[in-house]
Amino acid sequence: MFRNGSATTFNTSKRGFFTSTILRGKPGCALVPPVHHLVKIDKSKLSPRFPGLKYDKDDIRSPAYHPKNTHQDRVQEHYLNTLQSDMMLMNYSHEAKTEKGLKKRTWDVSKSPYHVNRPLRRPQGPEGQRPDVHPIIWNNIPSIDNVILNCYVAESRDNELLAVSALLQLQQITGCKPSIIYSKSNVPNWKIRSGRQMGAKIKLTGLPMHQFLSTLSEIVLPRIRKYRGIKLSSGDSLGNISLGLTAADVKFFPEIDANQDLWPKTFGFHITINTTAETDDRARTLISGFQLPFDLEPSKKEA
Amino acid sequence: MLSTPRLITRCKNVDTSILTIIRTKRTKANKNSTGVSPQMQRVVTQLSVMSARKKQPKMLKLSNEDLIKHQTIETAWKIYQDKLQGQRTLRLKKQYFAVKEAMDTLKEVSPALFYEANVDESGKTFPMELRVPTDAPPREIWHYDYTLKTTET
Repeated sequence: MFRNGSATTFNTSKRGFFTSTILRGKPGCALVPPVHHLVKIDKSKLSPRFPGLKYDKDDIRSPAYHPKNTHQDRVQEHYLNTLQSDMMLMNYSHEAKTEKGLKKRTWDVSKSPYHVNRPLRRPQGPEGQRPDVHPIIWNNIPSIDNVILNCYVAESRDNELLAVSALLQLQQITGCKPSIIYSKSNVPNWKIRSGRQMGAKIKLTGLPMHQFLSTLSEIVLPRIRKYRGIKLSSGDSLGNISLGLTAADVKFFPEIDANQDLWPKTFGFHITINTTAETDDRARTLISGFQLPFDLEPSKKEA
Repeated sequence: MLSTPRLITRCKNVDTSILTIIRTKRTKANKNSTGVSPQMQRVVTQLSVMSARKKQPKMLKLSNEDLIKHQTIETAWKIYQDKLQGQRTLRLKKQYFAVKEAMDTLKEVSPALFYEANVDESGKTFPMELRVPTDAPPREIWHYDYTLKTTET
């Protein structure tokens, strides 16, 4: 079989030797019928060896079990009891139709046979494709999906230990485990090397998210001097609103404020509130219901 | 077996020859740094706070009876939550269709009022006075004679 030092009888290009996971860029199964192994085999389920590891994560016998619904979530209750129906009524528009977003255009096949199977034409005008905007009815009322905190520490290009502090800061504030941000590419002008630890980020959902939002709106933002509110220009036009906190603002979080000696240096971060709203206006209406202020008169600031 | 004086001399020799060298080394190391710099020590502490080992709760060992109790409670809780969810959805649905019906009637009865009622309010924000209810509300729950402060130019 292994004559002449070559194992030509084996085709090892499809998957790794010890795993059933498919190698990147390779088809995981035969492309021509008969097609086998469409369902990935979880080998840990086949083995009789570690029965404790086979339970689902929400089973109390599993080592990964984490209890849920341990607290009453007053922000969630506020949303369900008050905001949800209010949002529906405020956004009610009689006999509203779905607003079609820009889409890619098809080619007229009758003009040329070469248009058959051609990739779709880009939409008319300078903008790209846009999703449809549906009228709000009882089953698509916007809600807050998740909140993402992104703390990029530019100084950690000189001192990588600052990124560890940023990581801990996010954990202290949210009570959840953040993940590390690595720089992706070499940028000589910014003195950035790829693969360097540059900060921390975290995606909050559920109770920790509501906890963070209420801390932000009740403790942190009111203590910022001359805070005008979230800018109306904020938003990605898809219903996700962002705001930023400076390093000085972060000191108002009670977790940081309680032991200031431990935090000689704090790090500002960006907060992105991802909602299920389809437009920024709807997202603003929703977010304002959680006591987050908006800068509704921005012109007065300059005067 | 060695006699006592010989043993002592031997030990003395060993001590003087080896320990002196070691001592100098150790003291030198001690003078420069205690293992790591205080800055590094700070980072080590920070990392230990974040370590997964500290956050891993102790695994519960339930008896068969306890397990069945737990599963029963979990199932009951899920059913209860589903029921609540169903009730909320139904309420919203009823509310929506009630508004729709009312607007239909208004359109027939008074087109002017219908136009007023159907004005687009997108981007309208909730007033800042809206509070998330708490378990410990203030004694004076609502300021009945409150008037909104108008910002002066």
